[in-house]
Amino acid sequence: MAVGLEELLDTGGFVPHGVCLLWRPDILMLHVASDVLIGLSYFSIPVALIYFVMRRRDVAFGWMALLFALFIIACGTTHFLSVWTLWTPDYVLEGLVKLLTAFASLATAAALWWLMPRLLALPSPRELEASNRALELEVATRREMEARYSGFFNNLGEALFIVQVLPDGDFAYEAINPALARIGGLDPEQLRDRRVRDAVKPELADLVIPRYTACRDSGKTIDYEETLDMPAGQRVFHTMLVPVKDAAGRVVQILGSGRDVTERKRLQEEVIQTSKLATLGTLAAGMAHEMSQPLNVIRLWTENTLARLHDNLLEPARAEKALKLVIEQTERMGKLIDHVRMFGRRDGGGMRTFHPADCVQSAVELVRHQYRHEDIEIVEKGWAAQLAVSGRPLELEQVILNLFSNARDAIIALRAAGGAAGRIMVAVGDDPDGYSVVIQVTDDGGGIDPAVLPQIFDPFFTTKEVGKGSGLGLSIGYGIIDGMGGRIEARNVDLEGGGRGVRFTITLPSQPVSSVDREFSHA
Amino acid sequence: MPDRFHILIAEDEVLAAMALEDFLSFKGFRVTVAANGVEALERYATERIHALVTDLRMPRMDGETLIREIRDRDATLPVVVMTGYLTEDSDLKQERWKPLEIFSKPVNPRTICNTLHRMLGIPLEA
Ligand SMILES: Nc1ncnc2c1ncn2[C@@H]1O[C@H](COP(=O)(O)OP(=O)(O)O)[C@@H](O)[C@H]1O
Ligand SMILES: [Mg+2]
Repeated sequence: MAVGLEELLDTGGFVPHGVCLLWRPDILMLHVASDVLIGLSYFSIPVALIYFVMRRRDVAFGWMALLFALFIIACGTTHFLSVWTLWTPDYVLEGLVKLLTAFASLATAAALWWLMPRLLALPSPRELEASNRALELEVATRREMEARYSGFFNNLGEALFIVQVLPDGDFAYEAINPALARIGGLDPEQLRDRRVRDAVKPELADLVIPRYTACRDSGKTIDYEETLDMPAGQRVFHTMLVPVKDAAGRVVQILGSGRDVTERKRLQEEVIQTSKLATLGTLAAGMAHEMSQPLNVIRLWTENTLARLHDNLLEPARAEKALKLVIEQTERMGKLIDHVRMFGRRDGGGMRTFHPADCVQSAVELVRHQYRHEDIEIVEKGWAAQLAVSGRPLELEQVILNLFSNARDAIIALRAAGGAAGRIMVAVGDDPDGYSVVIQVTDDGGGIDPAVLPQIFDPFFTTKEVGKGSGLGLSIGYGIIDGMGGRIEARNVDLEGGGRGVRFTITLPSQPVSSVDREFSHA
Repeated sequence: MPDRFHILIAEDEVLAAMALEDFLSFKGFRVTVAANGVEALERYATERIHALVTDLRMPRMDGETLIREIRDRDATLPVVVMTGYLTEDSDLKQERWKPLEIFSKPVNPRTICNTLHRMLGIPLEA
């Protein structure tokens, strides 16, 4: 049934709604007043809503508010139409507006239910307030921490710096602390974000960039001592670089700290110097004593000879004896001087890598014959030495020879005191850790009095008779082993056969053998 | 005549002791040699000794102990010390050890001989 709009809006045939109310003025007034009030209020609500949505641009689901506004305007309109139809029977128009309202209500209601879970998920103002408060607290804590750390950074006497590793691998200063600025005469603001090469003097850059590179490439904390030219003069720093990595493990930042150890270094050097002087003092005193002995013999014999010569009482045999004695004594002094020369030679050139077993072998060869005559047997064992060491082979040989001769002296002394002795055991082997070679020389000569054990490495310490011992052997040996980065220790040992003796243990750090040195190692 | 005088030499360096013994005997002294402090003290106990010539560093009782022991027994025995050590701060320099003379090695035997003459009150030969 097709109906035209004209027809639809045609009011003919209907009676106004007021008829139903019998045109009673009181009832009419009640309806008119209520509907107008409701309509006005309804119309005002969307205005408020839209105003709210406009002002609060961040309102979630703003379109919902618009839908709401439409729905309410529609509702309001129906109320105004109710007033209108009291006098004018436009019921079709009213019906159409109601239909519109129905759609708007339906849409709003549906949307509301559809949105419900999402609306529930929206934080309530109270929740928001609580989380706001938590956030504020967090911000405050962070500020305080930052203040504390920046206090650390700014007030610490240690030089601190942050180096950025740029994508191209180069380095730029991110920040330096006032201590570093002060020591280095640098301006933190000028340094910021500038490449290290542009930020500092070329000489300084040449010194620090290799270190930063090492830290960047190894990804490990490194620390080292460096001497830098600062405006305040040359300073020695103990510097530490700590890499900071990103999630992919790439070093993106280097945290650096430098402690000025100039003063400590100076004190240290002073102590070394003092102890050197002390050693020199002992050396001088010892030398004076040791040299005075043969000189004394020489003087006495020559004076003696001279006195007899003056009195014409010198027989040729006596003269010959005296002169031979003098020659012997000069030889004794020569040996002493050789020993002392070893002291001075200690850090001369000629270091190379070699196999210590070869030195031990040639030391054994050198004395085996002579010792056999004295009924002293050298027993070799454990030649499992593959590793090489760095130093001077002849010096190491000398150290081992001195250990042999000490062992021999001890054996002979023990025999003189009625004991049985006569074995020197020597062993060379790689330490199982693979980083060092161990040489052991053990004798059955009765051992060392524990009271003097701590002194045996002192220069001129000897328990031997005058002319027999200089007390220099072990102290020179100690110096040589120390110079090779190794150590030498002595302790008394009880031997399997019931005897007792001393075991000297030399531990030397192993070195990779270069091909050139390998050729020489059997020289 | 010095041969009335008996000198005890305490010295562990045999060759030095021998030469000094020879020199002093040549100059007319009677000489006895001991190789260490203990031996010297034994000789001192059993023989009549007029003067002691001693080394300081010796095995089995050093020179200083020997001098102490002897001073306990005889406050006036002339003592001549021969030493290879630096003697600047030695206790032996104290007055109470006198009569005592210190010489550092190498010693001149003529000086030792002259000192003995002086300490023993023997007129020096021309
Ligand atoms: N194998 C050993 N047995 C007993 N004592 C030893 C041994 N090796 C060294 N000593 C002691 O250490 C002292 C110092 O030795 P060293 O420095 O070689 O000087 P020296 O052999 O000239 O006395 C020796 O006098 C001795 O008392
Ligand atoms: Mg030795």
